[in-house]
Amino acid sequence: MANKDDFLRALGPKIGRTVEKQGRLYFEVADKNLTEVAVYLFRTMGCRLSTATAMETYHGLEVLYHFSHDATGWYYCPRVVIPDKVHPRVTSITPVIRGAEWIEREMAEFWGITFEGHPRPERLLSKDHPQRLDKPFRFRRMS
Amino acid sequence: MSWSKKRLAKSLWVFHVSASPCNNCDIEILDLLTPRYDVERFGVKLVGSIRHADVILLSGVINQKVAPMVKHLYKQAPKPIFVVGVGTCPTSGCCFKDSYNIVPRREDVIPIDVYIPGCPPKPEAMIEALAKLMGVLRGK
Amino acid sequence: MTKTVIPVGPFHPLLEEAESFTLKVDGETVVDVELDIGWMHRGHEYLSEGRTFTQSIYLIERICGICSTSHPLACVHAIEDVDHIEIPERAAYIRTLIGELERIHSHLLWLGLAGHFIGYDTVWMWAWKWREPVLQMFETISGNRNHYGMMLVGGVARDINPDDIPGLQKILNEIESKLAMIAKAVPDDPVLKSRLKGVGVLTKQAAIDFCAVGPTARASGVPIDVRKDEPKDAYGWVDFQAIVLPNGDVYDKLVLRVLETFESIKIVRQCLEKLKTLSGPILNNVKEIGVGEGIGRYEAPRGEVFHYVRTDGTNRPIRHKIRAPSYVNIPTFAASCIGVPVADALITLASVDPCYCCTERAIRVITPDNDPLDMDLLRLSREKTERLRRDIHG
Repeated sequence: MANKDDFLRALGPKIGRTVEKQGRLYFEVADKNLTEVAVYLFRTMGCRLSTATAMETYHGLEVLYHFSHDATGWYYCPRVVIPDKVHPRVTSITPVIRGAEWIEREMAEFWGITFEGHPRPERLLSKDHPQRLDKPFRFRRMS
Repeated sequence: MSWSKKRLAKSLWVFHVSASPCNNCDIEILDLLTPRYDVERFGVKLVGSIRHADVILLSGVINQKVAPMVKHLYKQAPKPIFVVGVGTCPTSGCCFKDSYNIVPRREDVIPIDVYIPGCPPKPEAMIEALAKLMGVLRGK
Repeated sequence: MTKTVIPVGPFHPLLEEAESFTLKVDGETVVDVELDIGWMHRGHEYLSEGRTFTQSIYLIERICGICSTSHPLACVHAIEDVDHIEIPERAAYIRTLIGELERIHSHLLWLGLAGHFIGYDTVWMWAWKWREPVLQMFETISGNRNHYGMMLVGGVARDINPDDIPGLQKILNEIESKLAMIAKAVPDDPVLKSRLKGVGVLTKQAAIDFCAVGPTARASGVPIDVRKDEPKDAYGWVDFQAIVLPNGDVYDKLVLRVLETFESIKIVRQCLEKLKTLSGPILNNVKEIGVGEGIGRYEAPRGEVFHYVRTDGTNRPIRHKIRAPSYVNIPTFAASCIGVPVADALITLASVDPCYCCTERAIRVITPDNDPLDMDLLRLSREKTERLRRDIHG
């Protein structure tokens, strides 16, 4: 059964700083390697994308994906750090995983992140909102 | 006018509007129709169109997106219409008071006549509220 | 052409929550589904970050009224995951007990609604009538029919009085016998079978691609269940089966939920037996949460509820992410609703058991040229059942 050690061996050079806890593996990934890591996790290991969290940190914005390996109960969480706060961009994984469509639309709407390659980048929760929303709902620092 | 109100009180037809609730109050409202509480014995019926309704049962904190719909619905309702706010949400906003997406004052969107606090209010409390409304209409 | 069609919603009497679908129909077949959500959005993640951990559990309970235990359980699992906090054994059994009772009440609720949508109003009244004893059990245990306020970081808030347990067991036996009666009626009814078999099929590959969870995935042959994949609380100590069925149509989803309810009754029985004799504390008093991240999840009646918490050593989370199961299940409509006749659209949409505290509901029907059509989907669904009944029984 595919496990964490196989994963680290297969993708070793593409993965940055890693934090491992009981059943959880958090690791940093550069934006250019994100699609390859996602394809490995989804197709080769058979993981399921639970969701993705966007967060504003001291360094900028960060997108943390959560892949669940249901056979072992482990979570693999690639983290993409986006230093550009003015025009934050990440490669979209929706072309690989259809289930990511709504997850990425929500992050785009609330945090102003552009997901490059997303097939339907429209607003999800605030479509036809009566107030004109020119700022994302939750991103506080725009500079 | 009071004669027509007395006549209304005999059989109130309700229309349920769920404006951003957590759904608990909505399930408890539907529970009123089931055999244990059976509110139909009071002549209260749930209707499918606002045009047939005498009472609007409002649940939920009204959020910005749904507020124009609620306003429109209230305008469409044939008067006299009474609005009953079910639960703590329309009463005071419950724990969502500080959210960025809800209206600051629900009474600005739709005037509420009867408040039933509780999270969710027990079906017995809702029946009591409807009974009080009927009592007021009958002039007691 | 204006898009709002007020008579059909977003407020429809039997679809409790507000939700808006637009179905594109060509003749009698659905060719596309578009969803418009956001009517329920109240900003839970934002509000939770302004509250302490214990205060946010009260808030998180109110995300949804039907799955009122699932969200707090996932939330406390996430906070406990930050520091690997252990909970006492008695608390684990009480948590599992409440979670499984909630599954019973939620599946009975769905059964009633499904019955209503296809025109079996008696099933609706019976299922909801026998839901009342479950709510009575909740009131005995926690003091409220819904929104129990039982979960705390490190354990539970209230203990079960051992004198109440025989009464609870009696109610459970009653529910089981009534449910067995409803369950026997389902496979024996030819009208129900012909109405629901082969309708709204979600293939196994589509379920995997959309990352579906819960009964929606299990009815399509994908064997995922958080209770078995990552057993927490007392799930590792009780004996039960995770049901998986192969076909992915509405009939399989119905049978799956009924079978799951029986499994839940089995688990509740085991927990009550154990709680009669097990003694010990119910709360591990945690004074502070360290710096770190935690992932917590729970198998709600609709699927996997996912919570992620990031802490910085203070008493508030700096990021709290919530993902309800319906968020990943509802997009599967794009795969299961296409090609379905309009009369079956309502039951297909309802079979995913969408918990619309995450969405809104009213179904707008339009032609391929975006002109609105006035169609009463509930009436169409019931008429189809009548036609089938006439064909079968003559």
